[in-house]
Amino acid sequence: MSDQKISKINRRSFLQITVGAAAFAGISLPKTVQAASDKQLSTLIDLSLCDGCADRETPACVSSCKSINQDKIPKVADNIPEPWPRKTIEDWSKKKEVTNRLTPYNFIYVHKAEIEASGRKKIVFVPRRCMHCDNPACATICPFSANHKNENGAVVINQKQCFGGAKCRDVCPWEIPQRQSGVGIYLHVLPGLMGNGVMYKCDLCNERLKEGKLPGCVEACPRKAMLIGQKFDMETEAQERAQRMSGYIYGKKENGGTATFYVSPVPFELINKTMPKKPGQPDMMPEVQRRMAGTDNLGKVVLAAPFLGLAAAGALGWFTRRKELVKKEVENENG
Amino acid sequence: MRMADKILTEENLVSRHGIIELIEHWAIATSGLLLLLTGIFELPVAKRYYFIVVPGLGWSADFITSLYIHYAASLVFTAAGIFHLAYHGLRNEKGLIPRKGDMAESVTVIKSLFGFGKEPPMPKYLPEQRLAYVGMAFIMAILIISGLIKTYKNIYAPDMSLTIVLWATWVHNIFFILFFLAFLAHMAAIALRPNWPMVRGILTGNVRLNYARHRHSLWLAEIEKVEVVLVATAQEIVLPPIEAEPLPKPQTLQQEGLMPATDGETAKANDEVTNEKIASDSKD
Repeated sequence: MSDQKISKINRRSFLQITVGAAAFAGISLPKTVQAASDKQLSTLIDLSLCDGCADRETPACVSSCKSINQDKIPKVADNIPEPWPRKTIEDWSKKKEVTNRLTPYNFIYVHKAEIEASGRKKIVFVPRRCMHCDNPACATICPFSANHKNENGAVVINQKQCFGGAKCRDVCPWEIPQRQSGVGIYLHVLPGLMGNGVMYKCDLCNERLKEGKLPGCVEACPRKAMLIGQKFDMETEAQERAQRMSGYIYGKKENGGTATFYVSPVPFELINKTMPKKPGQPDMMPEVQRRMAGTDNLGKVVLAAPFLGLAAAGALGWFTRRKELVKKEVENENG
Repeated sequence: MRMADKILTEENLVSRHGIIELIEHWAIATSGLLLLLTGIFELPVAKRYYFIVVPGLGWSADFITSLYIHYAASLVFTAAGIFHLAYHGLRNEKGLIPRKGDMAESVTVIKSLFGFGKEPPMPKYLPEQRLAYVGMAFIMAILIISGLIKTYKNIYAPDMSLTIVLWATWVHNIFFILFFLAFLAHMAAIALRPNWPMVRGILTGNVRLNYARHRHSLWLAEIEKVEVVLVATAQEIVLPPIEAEPLPKPQTLQQEGLMPATDGETAKANDEVTNEKIASDSKD
């Protein structure tokens, strides 16, 4: 079944990426990857294929991600400055091995969902990481623009500019970014009063994409449960797969749309029930709203504000001038 | 000077700001303060610094709520700022535009505020007010432009060029600090005793006549000149050129029959007297 799907996808350009990577792991990919990275990319995670790498100690996607990003975080300060007045320090530097949740040292983990559907027990493995939203509040609302959505869809935190205020985590419906205190630019500014480290999360292996390589998790998945390609193609593929398995899609509408499409044979309502929201362990609430969308209409009026001001000035200016002329005429007549 | 500036003799006041100027000022002031506050709350400070425990500020750690208020305030701020420029520009009201020598004169005025030297006679606005106005207008303009870019990015283009986003963000942040400093300077200026009478002006539109006569004598002279011209125009008389010497007070003018009388018959009688007087003055 898996082979059939792969051969079907192979007819599409995005599949050249996956198959190419599978066949020539570690070798530069065809030019189509580079071409694809110029446009908006998206990933597809097929939960009917993911088995959580039951035969391995750590799922392949997690191991690959950890290996690629192992040197990403610089050495943490020996004495992490105590923030004032709230004394929250988040230090994962001595727990780098943790893989059952998101941490600054672990950008992807696999949730095991034990579901009872139609009287039958079913186990679904759900890799969780940043969804790379279409309009990510984590990036647009960052006070220093340290977090930015790239043209290819990858939402990337620049660790050299991030102050670790964790605002991105607060506005993310899944609270994905994770903080490591004791690193980053805040140490050189006002460490006790401002900032508290650097936020870390999956960046879709943006640097690898630039080099024409696949994201580590996609490349490493032994069951080809993860794909990457142009967004339109991925969405079409997700719909076709969902139709074939009478399944469900997550990530298309959630938070205003994302660049990650999960396809599952079981409803996400049931999967979500197995995911109580905990720090570093996001839930999977179907159709979770993009809260910033509520501000969009007001923002559009703000964009029109200069024209409103001009129109009001023109109208009132004309009216006042007219009033003054009439007054003058009346005075002249009465004079 | 505004055309509507006039002496309210009975109330012992001078009309300094019209309703439009008052609305502009307070719209920009209140929205500007809200922008400062919600701008601070757009930084992750509310939880860390326990603003959230202050009664009435429970919302301060919710960045989306702050954004709603920030947008609403920026709508007023932007529209009022652009309105101000366009409206007064159209009406050619340039009293707040700096003039040559304002910098040196500002130093003289500021020194006089602290008891060093004497303040020179002033027009409607003080030289440092004119300089501060341009400074504040520049800060506001940059905040508005960078804010509009950020708003556009939030709604339509989250993947806008990172260079533009970084420029807009950092310029907005730096000018936010400058705006805060300018606001503090503004508060410091009105905290100085000689400036207190102007607070009444920005609250009610009027300042005390004796304050205006004492401090803004050039402005008063200008008003009085216009009033005399208006009276003369209404009476279709050509006045002789007005010399630089101080003008008589309106009360004196009325006593001398140069101001219009209140009832028709007296007015007619006065007109004849006035015409004769003006004619004889012209011969001089």
